[in-house]
Amino acid sequence: MRRKISYLLALAVSITAIGTGSADAATKLNPQMQALVDSYQKEAGVKAFSADEGKKLFMSKRMHSVKKEERSCTTCHTTNPAQTGKTVVGKPIDPISPAVTKDRFTDPKKVEKWFKRNCEWVLERECTPKEKGDYITFMTSL
Amino acid sequence: MVLRKTIIPFLAAGLMLTGLVAGTGFADEDHRERGERHSRYMPKVAENATYKQECSSCHFLYLPGLLPARSWEAVMNNSDKHFGENLGLDENTKKEITSFLKNNSAERTDTEWSNKIMRSVGSATPERITEVPWIKKEHRRIKPEVFQRPSIGSFSNCGACHTQGAQGNFEEDAVSIPKK
Repeated sequence: MRRKISYLLALAVSITAIGTGSADAATKLNPQMQALVDSYQKEAGVKAFSADEGKKLFMSKRMHSVKKEERSCTTCHTTNPAQTGKTVVGKPIDPISPAVTKDRFTDPKKVEKWFKRNCEWVLERECTPKEKGDYITFMTSL
Repeated sequence: MVLRKTIIPFLAAGLMLTGLVAGTGFADEDHRERGERHSRYMPKVAENATYKQECSSCHFLYLPGLLPARSWEAVMNNSDKHFGENLGLDENTKKEITSFLKNNSAERTDTEWSNKIMRSVGSATPERITEVPWIKKEHRRIKPEVFQRPSIGSFSNCGACHTQGAQGNFEEDAVSIPKK
């Protein structure tokens, strides 16, 4: 009887461990993506990227000089990266969080393309290597 | 004689029934033929992987047969300021998408709807499908606030209501307007 209970306890503990493990685990970048982030780091000349800075960038709002409207990453992605977003014409966007949408931040070419398109849309300029690194660090920390 | 008189109404009823059955039969065939008829008047479905990849992340994958070639050319020439957005397309990608759109444009797809689009556009070069007079006319009874509904978003989001629009079916019976 006691042995049975201890087995059950052990099982319960390991299930909990698996559960919290996957919830806490940051998304690990694949080698190609790690190489891209490393190159950002080299260009930016920083020791490490900051998830907090990335979050700040993600949430920050900016008035577009021509369109005269407030724009942000969250305009389309919503303030919750785990949530489905929407493009300006109404088409759904899979959640930006790599914990939810598994192929996010796996293809360097795609990542660069969307940084270019979307940084210009929000900031009217390209993002700096520091900003890109912080952003990815924030997203993979979720 | 008496027998014949009683048979006649039965015969008549039988014939009528046959007629009814045959009638529904025809209707069914008609319905089945619709799939083929689409191709005669709906804009033709044309596919290109690059076009799909580069364009459909942001918006409905507009069928090339919805605009004249000169419109597609103008849209693609302005791809660095695509309605206020720089698409950042490299030259090869741009070339491939442009020729795909032009080769399958409204004047290249001889369907009733593409012909109507061409006639309604006249000599103009609209860069937005939502500016094609015939398409605007077809949507005139939809109130602007309907397009603003969260699950629709804008007049540009064809697929929100045209549930089979991506397959080239813009028939009214394939339209379902979301309530919210």
